[in-house]
Amino acid sequence: MVAAAFAGPLVYLVVRTAQEGGAPEVLRSETALGPLTRTLLLAATTAVACALLGTTLAWLVMRTDLPLRRLFRVLVALPLVIPSFVGALALIAAFARGGLLDELFGFDALPPVRGYWAAFATLTLLSYPYVYLPVAARLSALPPSLEETGRSLGRSPAQVFRSLVLPQATGAIAAGALLVFLYVISDFGAVSLLRYDTLTVRIESARLFDPPTALALGLLLAVVALVVVMSERGLSRRRVNTEAVAAGRRPLQAPLGVWKAPALALVVGVVGIALVAPVAVLAQWTLRGLGEDRAARGVEWSDLWQPLLNTGGIAVVTAVVAVAVVLPVAYLTTRHQSRVGAVANALVVAGFALPGLVIALAVVFWVLRAPLVGGLYQTFPLLVFAYVVHFGAQAMRASQVAVSGVPRRLGDAARSLGSGRWRRLRTVDLPLMLPGLGAGAGLVLLSTMKELPATLLLAPTGFDTLATRIWSATESAYFARAGLSALALVALSGVLTWLLTIRRLERLDA
Amino acid sequence: MRTIVELRELTKDFGAVRAVDRVDLDVREGEVLALLGPSGCGKTTTLRLVAGFERPDAGRIVLDGEEVAGSDRFVAPERRRVGVVFQDYALFPHLTVGHNVGYGVRDRNARDARVAEMLDLVGLTGEAARLPHELSGGQQQRVAIARALAPEPALILLDEPFSNLDAALRVRVRGEVRAILCDAAATAVFVTHDQEEALSLADRIAVMRAGRVLQVDEPGTLYAHPTDRFVATFVGDADLLPGRADGDAVTTAVGRLPTTNGDLSGDVAVALRPERVSLRLDGAGQGVVRGITYFGHDQLVEVGLEDGARVRSRMGPVRAFEPGDRVSVAVTGEVIAFRVSGTLNELTPDLASE
Repeated sequence: MVAAAFAGPLVYLVVRTAQEGGAPEVLRSETALGPLTRTLLLAATTAVACALLGTTLAWLVMRTDLPLRRLFRVLVALPLVIPSFVGALALIAAFARGGLLDELFGFDALPPVRGYWAAFATLTLLSYPYVYLPVAARLSALPPSLEETGRSLGRSPAQVFRSLVLPQATGAIAAGALLVFLYVISDFGAVSLLRYDTLTVRIESARLFDPPTALALGLLLAVVALVVVMSERGLSRRRVNTEAVAAGRRPLQAPLGVWKAPALALVVGVVGIALVAPVAVLAQWTLRGLGEDRAARGVEWSDLWQPLLNTGGIAVVTAVVAVAVVLPVAYLTTRHQSRVGAVANALVVAGFALPGLVIALAVVFWVLRAPLVGGLYQTFPLLVFAYVVHFGAQAMRASQVAVSGVPRRLGDAARSLGSGRWRRLRTVDLPLMLPGLGAGAGLVLLSTMKELPATLLLAPTGFDTLATRIWSATESAYFARAGLSALALVALSGVLTWLLTIRRLERLDA
Repeated sequence: MRTIVELRELTKDFGAVRAVDRVDLDVREGEVLALLGPSGCGKTTTLRLVAGFERPDAGRIVLDGEEVAGSDRFVAPERRRVGVVFQDYALFPHLTVGHNVGYGVRDRNARDARVAEMLDLVGLTGEAARLPHELSGGQQQRVAIARALAPEPALILLDEPFSNLDAALRVRVRGEVRAILCDAAATAVFVTHDQEEALSLADRIAVMRAGRVLQVDEPGTLYAHPTDRFVATFVGDADLLPGRADGDAVTTAVGRLPTTNGDLSGDVAVALRPERVSLRLDGAGQGVVRGITYFGHDQLVEVGLEDGARVRSRMGPVRAFEPGDRVSVAVTGEVIAFRVSGTLNELTPDLASE
């Protein structure tokens, strides 16, 4: 049943596109080809750039004598909390007349930022943490004896990195780059603001007056995502037996020597541009808006509270529902190795590969067409449903780890003490899985808060989240209002990210 | 004979803990030296200092005539020509056996020949194309040794080399490793907490405790003439009894025993090896049998004495005693005595049971 729900949108997309016919023409025409090429170009180049940047940063902060590396370990991961459209917004605002660059340096004749390079730079700087985090985690799980052996056999730190560490981190790098790729092809906010015409932008503009085209393009996007995911899986299967894992003592440190200054400059530069600059720009806009007549610039405190509550509320509901829905599948796949479980798992994962916009689109058209559920259009449950389909995979991975973390013999021990199935679940399994499930729920929470395109399409009228509030404020050029909401969103997700991911990374160094 | 390793006043602190405390040690060319001690005694840290994975806080290390660590000198591990075999073997899982062994051989032209030679040496001829996870534990260990030996290091270090093998395999592999090191004429230092391993494999043993080296000697000397009561109880079984020394004998609860060191007087402790203790059923004896641990080829009989002390006797397989039997205790040969100041409780080394 869970599987069916997750498969629903994709199946509907295929069926509808087939019914409408005309899909082949749409896909062959210039309408599809241009945006498709641009989407693939942007996603591929961004993924490669993120792989390089994320891996370099991970190595610098985890394995060298870089000054302040413990602080940077946290800071370097933080651009993750800035949604792409907020980053793009900050970039535009910084370059605009009267923007931060104008105010600080007197550059008042800067060209407006737009197009491929702007989108590439924005998305690279905001999504490299998708590579940095898994690679940093992989490095800390690598047995130190591996690198020590390499060094004692006469190889320099750089050679050891190339010949031993890099091959061991390939899996993590590939997984991270894949996430970046999926993130970029499904991104709507940044490319739309920066006027780079990708598939998502085309879908959004076509969905009202030309539904068949929107559906066909949505299907195209879904196919791209699934093909990429499947090919990565095929490649990664071969690696399983050749990865070394061990917890351990402190790893060796590579002395940077004369490279210390350039390395520090790189790390400071990345953190400065990707994290400090956007926040500074948003703060500048907000302060300016607050400094002048509040009502005229459209800033009210109540404007902030309601979206904040809405965002928090729906994110929590989504997170809880996602974990509850996904847990049985996680049980089936890790405990029972069932065929059904494997299929369900694949479908849940596919949901994550599908761009949010595509899922929302499928749900919208499906609900509008179907007589029974028609009343659900733009209601709370439907929005939650779309979120869960989209982000369920994030909870799935964490749940599987949580389930497999409870040794089977504990259940057997409880059983031998005369405890029934439900009592075992309640007294043994759940308490032990709670931290893992919490992490999964937290990931869903974080993603839901930042989600834009599906929320725009599916949210009930008048139901504003921080993301949609920022978006609408931007469209009507209320930068102060956008700035305030964006700061709130960044702060909220910053706290969550810290709790979920970075704290664990920190502990590894203790 | 040339000295390959010289440690002088070597010291390493981890925070407030002094892991290695002013260690002096020489390793001679061609010998196999064991660093023996309970866990946490600083033996692995000493090994890592020699390999260059840790920097000493004080003291110096001279390797093959060159100072590699000192007050103003630190040579990186890759420049030390020291091979290391890790407890977990640390085989590069993504490289074949051949590439693992050839990793440290810098001369490309000589690499293949050297790999083949090393695999012959460790008895893995023709296995070069396999991946580490396809090998058994014993085979993996031999690959790790071949890899460490391949660049012809001046010294090879082994960290708890047999702890990952099951008991049945361990004895056989120990012999194989001994033969490989001999064939390669390698100078080797290995770390272990297992006294049997140290006694059977090493040419000389350095016993460590709490960061200090207590005694360095050949296995036979170490067993027969421990200079320290910790060494006496850690290397081989021994029970400590309090006594009073005068001249060349010590008066104890089990009688007057001749000692090897005749220059002591006053309160001492004597170490009794169980194989030197014999028991006889005797209604007026000094002790009562408390328990028997039966091994088949022999047995350990534990006897409680009147003052609460304990002695053990190792005897043949015939079960002559039952718990509760009153027995008299006799000791053959000379015993080793140590000067003490304190009570019996302080005599009992905290880690004697390891």
